[in-house]
Amino acid sequence: MTKGNVMDQANERRVTNRPVDRRTMLKGMGAGALAIGAGQVIGELALAKPAFAATSSTPIKIAYISPRTGAFADFSISDSYVLSKIRSSSAYAKGVTVGGKHYSIDIVTADTQSDPNRAAQVAQQLIQQQNVDLILTTSTPETTVPVATAAQQLKTPCLGTVCPWEAWYAGLGGNPGSPTTNFSYNAMFFFGLKEFAGTFLPMWKRIENSTHAAKVFAGMFPNDDDGNAFRMGFPPYAEAAGYTYIDGGAYTDGTTDYSAMIEKFKAGGAEFFVNCPIPPDFNTFWKQAVQADFRPKLATVAKVMLFPSDAVALGRLSNNIATDAWWTPYGPYKSSLTGETAAKLASDFEHSTGSEWVDSLGSSYSLFEVAIEALKASDDPHDHAQVANNLQKVSYSGISGPIDFGAGPAPGVGIIKPVGVQWKPGKKLFGKKFPWQEFVVDNSLNKDIPINGDLVATNT
Amino acid sequence: MTWLNAVIQGILIGGFYALFACGLSLLFGVMGIINLAHGDFAVIAGYVAVILVPQTHLPMVFGFLVVVPIFALGGYILQRTIFQAALNRGDPLTILLVTFGLSIITENALLQAFSSNGQSLNIGNLITDSINPSNVISISDISLVVLIVAVVVLGGLQLMLSRTATGRTIRAVADDREAAELVGINYRHVFGIAAAIALATVALAGLASGMITEFAPTSGTNNLLFAFEAVVIGGIGSLWGTLVGGIVLGVAQQIGAQINPAYQILAGHLVFLAVLAFRSRGLFAVREAA
Repeated sequence: MTKGNVMDQANERRVTNRPVDRRTMLKGMGAGALAIGAGQVIGELALAKPAFAATSSTPIKIAYISPRTGAFADFSISDSYVLSKIRSSSAYAKGVTVGGKHYSIDIVTADTQSDPNRAAQVAQQLIQQQNVDLILTTSTPETTVPVATAAQQLKTPCLGTVCPWEAWYAGLGGNPGSPTTNFSYNAMFFFGLKEFAGTFLPMWKRIENSTHAAKVFAGMFPNDDDGNAFRMGFPPYAEAAGYTYIDGGAYTDGTTDYSAMIEKFKAGGAEFFVNCPIPPDFNTFWKQAVQADFRPKLATVAKVMLFPSDAVALGRLSNNIATDAWWTPYGPYKSSLTGETAAKLASDFEHSTGSEWVDSLGSSYSLFEVAIEALKASDDPHDHAQVANNLQKVSYSGISGPIDFGAGPAPGVGIIKPVGVQWKPGKKLFGKKFPWQEFVVDNSLNKDIPINGDLVATNT
Repeated sequence: MTWLNAVIQGILIGGFYALFACGLSLLFGVMGIINLAHGDFAVIAGYVAVILVPQTHLPMVFGFLVVVPIFALGGYILQRTIFQAALNRGDPLTILLVTFGLSIITENALLQAFSSNGQSLNIGNLITDSINPSNVISISDISLVVLIVAVVVLGGLQLMLSRTATGRTIRAVADDREAAELVGINYRHVFGIAAAIALATVALAGLASGMITEFAPTSGTNNLLFAFEAVVIGGIGSLWGTLVGGIVLGVAQQIGAQINPAYQILAGHLVFLAVLAFRSRGLFAVREAA
């Protein structure tokens, strides 16, 4: 909007200051277009060169694309730390042997600024101008989908994570309902609505047993990629388990007042609450819910309350809000690059940054583990089709636990198993005590992760 | 009863929109400055409160005692330096670009300094308490406080502009700067005072926003659109108009939400469009847009 205004005014001014007749203007525009066209051709020729020059000794170039700034920057808090850990691991510091030849590895990073258009743009630039061999990308459909789409079009292997697989698959043009299409240059690991339901519903059941709550749940799903995927995919699982659904309606992100929705939830007698909003909207909603006395027995939220900063911002209203954790430092998992444990990764993070551990530590780290697995299985790391093919076949165990890309619900999708966590006042874990901490309260899907907190009703 | 509740909630949120739009309305009405960094300035107010208020041991609710004077001073300095320099170029585009630039610089500087973590101003029980005249209607204490502050601030400023000597000087400069200069008014100083008042209200808006929701370095632009709509619906140059504009916007959104939550934001935009189409100078326009 703002840019448009500026441009309009600029055009207006130019026209009024120096009147130009239509013919001259058209001529000028034509010449401009020609010049731009020529520039592009020259640019493309120049870009094409390094591709021919690529030989077996050329370093392997890996791009890491994430939302470092903007609305989703919370997801990337651990990026700098993970990258420094990765760069110091022997595979990335000394290089790898692929097909009998030794290659060093360059990692380039790019920031999407949390903007899907920018994400597509940086992916294209990295592929076309920097000739990257493999793209790693993480955090939200707004990041991973445009990057994966660009990689698919430009035939470059791409591995994503931290995005429900349905949103990723639908974003690439597939139908998650019958996932037969193979987007051959793409792979991803995370989980989907089945796992969200598999994490949330056992917690509902336990609260229902302990508090005799009514089997009615409220759904707050916005009108965006994640929200629509949830509205389509989540209620069927809950309804199959005997819960009645009250839909809050497809509201717009950034809504400032939720009283109409809250009234609907109250009128319907909802005792369970599920959502997937953007973080500031949940903060607004939850405060207004308390004001209007909507107090569900258990709130199981997705996409928000994933990071300690959300819990700190909400203060004591965070207490006993449940969510999913895709990674915790409590599992028996070890890095496939260095053998370091999950607990060591988290404690080193806390010691070196002074910040509390986050789920992204594990997922971002695993992107680089999987990359090495796929490269090692190939004959030529610069053969994009082959590396992509191997990416879809990786089966290994690393800091995020075992992942098998061949056994997922859709081609190229590897499933990691989340656990149910609740936010509670923090305890001393790795030396420093933080105000709010995720405690594992339900491990129905992943028994590897030990329970370390009691499941307590969000509101009594 | 649910419709009555929708109207009440609309008025409450409308008070917030009006408070948020006040500084925007004032800067545009007096100096003709469209401040694209308006929302970002409000976010700065939130961060200033997060850092400074705990050190004064004041409860966060009284954070305005700390933040408002800082912003008033900052507003005066900003006007006398950057804004005045941009205005001196005599080109409305320059000032627009300057505020656009300030917006980008602010967002990125905040990101550098505070990371992207969401922050919220903790006001204890005030955020959870509410008045419940019936089991459908609930009036949250904080929303009511914000509405009252909006009425007092916008009403008070409107009265100040129409009744006091300072107000008359500001209006004189806004109406005809050259004529005002001829009678000995230092218009730069008057602009500075107007900007100080405007930024003081931005500080209040930023604190209100920080209490009722959370903010992050990039969240400033979210409320800017609603603020623009409130100003345009109410009419350029009228602070009463801005108050009414905010409330009209809030009520329209709530009625839209009552029909279907998907129409909440849309309903507000439709009212805005209708005003532009049928009464383009706004409901309470006092003069032509500069």
